[in-house]
Parts: sequence; structure tokens; C-alpha cells
Amino acid sequence: MTTRQITLPVTGMTCASCVSHVEGALNNLAGVEKAAVNLGAAKATVEYDPARASPAQMFAAVADIGYEVGTAQATLSVSGMSCASCVAHVEGALNGLDGVTKAVVSLALNTARVEYVPTLVTVAQMKRAIGDAGYEAAEPAAGVSAMDREREARQKEIRRQGMYLLFATPIALAVMIGTFYEYLAPAFRQFIPALLAEKWLLGVLTTPIVFGPGRQFFVNSFRGLRHGVTDMNLLYATGIGAAYFIAVINTLWPDAGFGGKGATFFESAALLTWFIVLGRYLEALTRGRTSDAIRKLMSLQPKTARVMRNGNEIEIPADEVLVEDLIRVRPGERIPVDGLLKDGYSAVDESMLTGESLPVEKKAGDTVIGGTMNKTGAFSFVATKVGADTALAQIIRLVEDAQASKAPIQKLADWVAGHFILGVHLLAILVFAFWFFFGYQMFFDPDTSFILSPAKLSEIGVFGFSLLLSVTVLIISCPCAVGLATPSAIMAGTGKVAEHGVLFKNAEAIENAAKLQTIVFDKTGTISKGEASVTDVVVGGEAHDSKSVLRLAAIAEKNSEHPLGEAIVRGAKERGLEVPDAEAFDSIPGHGVEARVDGREVLLGNRKLMAARGVDLAGLLAKAEELERDGKTVMFVAVDNAPAGFIAVADTLKDYSVEAIRTLHALGIETAMITGDNRRTAEAIARQVGIDRVFAEVLPQDKAAEVKKLQAAGRRVAMVGDGVNDAPALAQADVGMAIGSGTDVAKETGHVILIKDDLRDVVVAIEVAKATMRKVKENLFWAFIYNTLGIPLGAGLFYPLFRVIISPELAAALMAISSLTVTFNTLFLRRFVPSLRRGARGTGGPEAPRAPVLVSSAAK
Amino acid sequence: MDLDRKIALTSAAIYSALSLTASASFFVAATVTGDYTAVARIGGALWVLLLSYIVTMPPVISAVKKRMKATQ
Repeated sequence: MTTRQITLPVTGMTCASCVSHVEGALNNLAGVEKAAVNLGAAKATVEYDPARASPAQMFAAVADIGYEVGTAQATLSVSGMSCASCVAHVEGALNGLDGVTKAVVSLALNTARVEYVPTLVTVAQMKRAIGDAGYEAAEPAAGVSAMDREREARQKEIRRQGMYLLFATPIALAVMIGTFYEYLAPAFRQFIPALLAEKWLLGVLTTPIVFGPGRQFFVNSFRGLRHGVTDMNLLYATGIGAAYFIAVINTLWPDAGFGGKGATFFESAALLTWFIVLGRYLEALTRGRTSDAIRKLMSLQPKTARVMRNGNEIEIPADEVLVEDLIRVRPGERIPVDGLLKDGYSAVDESMLTGESLPVEKKAGDTVIGGTMNKTGAFSFVATKVGADTALAQIIRLVEDAQASKAPIQKLADWVAGHFILGVHLLAILVFAFWFFFGYQMFFDPDTSFILSPAKLSEIGVFGFSLLLSVTVLIISCPCAVGLATPSAIMAGTGKVAEHGVLFKNAEAIENAAKLQTIVFDKTGTISKGEASVTDVVVGGEAHDSKSVLRLAAIAEKNSEHPLGEAIVRGAKERGLEVPDAEAFDSIPGHGVEARVDGREVLLGNRKLMAARGVDLAGLLAKAEELERDGKTVMFVAVDNAPAGFIAVADTLKDYSVEAIRTLHALGIETAMITGDNRRTAEAIARQVGIDRVFAEVLPQDKAAEVKKLQAAGRRVAMVGDGVNDAPALAQADVGMAIGSGTDVAKETGHVILIKDDLRDVVVAIEVAKATMRKVKENLFWAFIYNTLGIPLGAGLFYPLFRVIISPELAAALMAISSLTVTFNTLFLRRFVPSLRRGARGTGGPEAPRAPVLVSSAAK
Repeated sequence: MDLDRKIALTSAAIYSALSLTASASFFVAATVTGDYTAVARIGGALWVLLLSYIVTMPPVISAVKKRMKATQ
């Protein structure tokens, strides 16, 4: 069976129980293997068998339980249609696309109006489908970008709850003043008409609040109940409904036995609704801010590109650029897609994608990344990656996936919150039964009042009192904050770290990264540059200086293809030396080269070569051996059979490797290096960089085994690497961090991608992960402490002692405060700056590295 | 009768029976054990009935659905 995976944007979810609600509806569909919903991202990821289930069935299942799959609309102008059957053809072509929920074609207007799920299908695909059906579709007459749609959906929710709030606020205030009229100070009371205290008027005022802004709770909970699922709306609906119903009965029929006129809690129903709507409004306002990063990334995508077609420069939508299109970019413009620079020269600001603050110079042959800003010159480039294949699109997808995934701690929190609702209703029955049969008779005092309220409950009967406590338990137990605690922090954390050029692929990686104890680095290409460089030039006699030694060696090696020879030539050129061709050149395999330069015989090679030619190295050997102990390779130079000096070549450290390792040590993390190199070279590099442990002479296939050994010893291990041979170790590690400049295999295997070639981003990843998980724990603490304290309070546990109970509206206020505490606490994460990004960075110099304390050789 | 309808009816029969039993038990207990007004007894029984419905519906529907789909 082949399964497919799709991501559906789901709107209308407000709490953790909505998550289990939607997951339940999707999982119950035949053919759905697994459905996972993320509240923070408002997305459902569904794995399904396309032969047995379709996206349309999923949309219907989600809609059926009262939520909506976020759709967008586009209007395409279609030409070539002549009759009704053309309409059917075009509609058929569009409806055949996964992700199109509805397509209506108008023959008279020559348009196709399409409702679609943006995560499943694009406008460009629709146009292609229409084209394949034999018609022509022009650019959408109306359509909005993904970012606009996302913002529009959020704005719609903010507007909706804002309108409700605007409507409910003055009325709720009037109801509150009317209810407490007789307790008001006389000076204030003279401005209030006494009529406002009339119970029937309070009822008239409360009714539009309950059935206006409060209607959403009744409708949603009814839809859910029809399908056998419960959510927060049900808590609100039963709370508001019970308070309102009792108040109406006591107003119209005060002798019915529900507590009479003294128990008309219209203000409870009104204020309860008001608090919940206020909470939802503030939540809609603030929750959007936790996903700022994704919006920032989306805003980088230019909407249009200027493409050369048939010799003309035309402007087309960026998503219609094809691979190999030649694209023109002017100064100040964003680069629309990824490509290879063909003509021109410029400096490009890539900070938005890589975090690198300095503009990067670009010349012909260099790659350019879509979404980055061209600063100085105009240039043209050939598109190499377009649409979903661009680096920016992949980054956005990775961040979205990470935000949509669930950390293990979140799965637990969701499970608790999802089962909490039923537990709360069960508790409400028990509380009601206890106070009805025992509590009221044993403890009720006519002087009973609500906390923070002067009103007395003297007239309330056993039923009214028990019901009040039962309703309060329902309201105060709402686990909204529990549901929000983890996803909001994960969302903010993944976004924050993406700003620094670090991409977490899922939430589990964040949780694991926060617990790391050991980080194993691949050597070549990760800690070191992976290419040899000239590190020392030592002169052997007064006849030469370092420049002449290097120049002669470079000329001798110019035609060599040996990596050490190439390093010497490159080293000479980097030092500004001219390297002409040698007059004669001969390679001595395994030993070195000999050449004639400026009429002199130059010999370059190892000890054996020098000994064979009778060159006396006595004055050079001590220094040469010292450098060899540091892992450097020494090449001796002799001119006319006399020693001229030697050149040391080594794989050099990358910039900032030392600084990164030093900071990791400061964080209390052990560092290790794994390499196939010989022990001496590995130890030399480890000494320079300050690595704690070295695994040398490890075969590529054994790297994962070394990581496994560390894990078996109880360590939580991260592996940082870039090569294909690192992939198994990256997969084996608790957290695999792939260097962005590395191979695709490494990036696909790793759990974290470091976009830049900068080891300090390992520190950034760990610090942000730690900050995120700290925030998750704080949030969960606040959420659970609220429920832990709130439920006994609401159930009247302290009533026998203090003779006060908590009112439903105060319970609602506390519930709203709990959710807001969590959301605002998460927002503080946006201000977090990793230590290495705070102002001045260290120099990255090699000072104060630590010597390896344990060196193990793992030769196989 | 299609499966969905069968699931809905079977589930409704079970959770209604459970809820009505809980509600009736409350009513009987209130009648037998104390001097409660009719409104309190009936109101209490209705409140218990409502909450019992809410408590029993999700697990009963889910269990019936699972069992019926498994035996299909």
C-alpha cells in the first residue's frame, strides 16, 4: 500500500481538546493511517491511502465537526470555451486536482472561480490542468499570496472576536452595574437609573450576549456532541447555559424552587461570555506574534520576476519562472528564485536566510538564492531551482513542518488536555451530587458570598447552590492553557532559531537538543576546512627567504595534481607571488617533484627523496618534527642540492571553530571529534580547537557505532557533520546537525540544518532549544498550577472554612488569565538572543584551548 | 441500514440508557434520602442527565465505532 501525506490548514480550533476532536474525526475515516493536529500551527497532517480516502472526505469530516479547512479562492480567466460541455471539462480538470474543494466555471464570464486548499495545490497547477484540458487560463484576476491568506484568516478571527467584544462589553458592564446596584456608593448610584437593577431588565440585556457572542460556543459544542466529541466549547456552553437558564427561571418563576430572586445570576452568564470572548480576542491577537518568523520568511518571496523570453524582458509571477529561464535583477530588488549568476557583479545581502550580516560578493558562476536582496549591481542569472525547490521554499517548509510537529512533551500535554474535558464533566456530577446530598445541609451558611463580591446567596436553595458549584467547576477547569503551553513555545522557538540560520526539522529535535550532554563533530569539513593550506614556511639558509622558498616550491608544483602541491601553489598566490611555469618538471611518485626554475634545480619532497639525493637536512629536522607533531605535513625544498627550507601544509581550522567549542564547554557540554585520520593528526587538530575526546582512525561505516556507544553509556549525543559518510551517525544521534554547505544526504538525514558554514550555530541551536524548553516548562507549570489550585476552589473545597465560593464569572476571568499568562510568557522568547549573537563576538582565536583529556583510538 | 447509521443508533441506545440510569438513580436517591422539593429533584435529575450524556457519549460512540468497524 502506498500512503500519501498532506497538510491541511484547520481553522476554528481553540484548545487542546479541539486537537483530539479533529484528530478523532480524521482518524475515524476509512483509509486514514494517521492524523496529527497541531494547535499552534492550526494544521492537520494526515497520512492516508489514496485508494481509500480522499482530501475531499477529510474536508467534509473536519467541517462536519464544526471546524473548517482553511481554503483560498482564486478567479482564473479561461479562454477557448464555447459550450456547456467545455464548462464541464474545465470544472472536471480543476475538481480532479487534489486540494480543489470547489470549482465553478462561468461560460458567460469566461472565468473559473476556484476554492482550494493552498497547502495542496497552487494556482500555477490549476492553470496547467486547464491547459492540459485544451483551454487557456490567464493569470488570476484575483488571488492572494499564502502570506496574505494567513494574515487574512487571522485578521478575520480578530475582527470577529473584536466585534463580539465591542458588542458585549457595554452590555456586560451595564448588567454588572445593575446587579450590584444596591452595593454601589450612593454618590455613584445617583447617576444610575434604578430600573437597571430590575431582574427582568438584566435578563433582557443578558439575552443578546448569550445568544450573540455566546452562540459560537453552543453551536460548536452541539456539532461536536453530534459526533461524539467534546471540547472547550462544551464547558463554556454548559456554564453559560446553566447560569442563564437558572436566572431566567428565577426571574419569571421565583417560587419554582431554584433559589428565587436572590439567585438570578444574569451577570454570571453575561460576564462569563464576555471574559471568554475577551480571552479569545487577546489570544488571536497574541498567538499570531509567535509565528512572526514564518511570515517574515514568506514575505521574502518576491511576487514577480523579470525574465528574458524571446529576447524580450517580461515581468511574470515568480511562481511561473521555469528552470533555465534567464532572469534580470537590478540593485535593490529581491532575487526571485535560486540560480547561477551569468553576467554582472554585485553584493547580495543574504542575512535574511543565513543570518550572515555582511553582503556576499557575487560574480559570474556564483550561486544566488531566491529571496535574498541584491544590493549594488545589476546582473542576470540562470534559474536552477524554482517553486517548491528553491532554498527559501524549503526553509519555509522545514520551519512549518517543525512548527506543525509535536514534541514528546506536547503529546503528553495534549493527551491530558484531551481527556480532561470528560474528567471535568464527571467531576461536575460528583461535585453536584456531594453538595446536593451532603454539603449544603452540612455547611451552607446564608451569609455565603462570592469571592470579590458583596452579593449574598442567602436565598439560594440546595439545587441552585449545588448547580452553581458544579458549573463553576466546569468553567474553572478549562485546560486551554495546557493545550497552548507547548505548541506556542515551539512555534516561537523554531521561528527564533530560523532567524539565525538554524532550521529544526521537528519539535522532537528541539526537545532533544535542550538535553544534549555530548556533541560529536566530524573533523574534515566540519571543524577543519577540509582542504590543505600552507601553514608554515621555514627557511634553511641565508641564501633564501620565505617568499623565495615558497615561490620556487609553487613553480615546481604548478603542474602537479597532488593536493599538497595544489595547496602550495594556492598558498603562494594568496601571498601575492607570481607562479610562472617551470622550465622543466618531473614527478617522482611517492616522494615529490623536481623542476628547473630560473636555471636552478629545485627539489621538493619528503625525507627519503632528500636522503636519496644527498641533501643534508640536519639544520631543519628539529623544527620539522615539531610541526609534524602538530599534525602538519612537511615538504622539504632543496635548490641545486642544497637545503633551502621546508613548507608545512595542514588542514586548517574553520573560522570560529575554537569559539564554538569554548562556548559549548561553558554550557557544560562535552565535545568529541570523530575522524578517519591518523591519531597524530586528529590529536593535533583536537588540541588546537580544544576538543575533549578524539575518536581517530574510525572508518565511515563505524561512525554511527561510536555514537551508539556513547548513547549506551547514557549520554545524550548530537552529531555534527557534512558528508555522506556522516549520514548514519547523524541518524543515530539524538540530534543530527547537518552543515548547510554539506551534502544533500547529510541535510536530509540531519534533524537540524545549519544554513551557514559556521560552527557557532551549533551553540545557537542548543541555546535556543534550551530557552524554548525552559519556556515550555514554565508554561506547563503556569497552566497546571492554575488548574491544580482552581479546581478545588471551584468545587467548594474551602467553603466549609471560609464560607465564600468563587463565582462562574471570576472562574472565567481566571481561566482567561491563565491562557494569556502562557501566551505572554511565550512572547518573551522573541526577545531571546543567543550568547554568541549578543553584541561583539569573540575573536575565534586559538587561545586557551583545552587539551584532550581522553584520547581513544578506534582503529578497525 | 448503512454502517454510520447503525453506529449512531446503537451508540445512542447505549449512552441514553446509561445517562437515564444515572439520572433516575439521582432522582430516586433524592426522593428517598431527603426532603427535597420536586423542582430540586427534577432539576437535579435533568442536570445529571445532561452531564451524563456529555460524559458517556464520546467513549460509547468511539467504542461502538471501533467494534462495528472491526467486525465488518
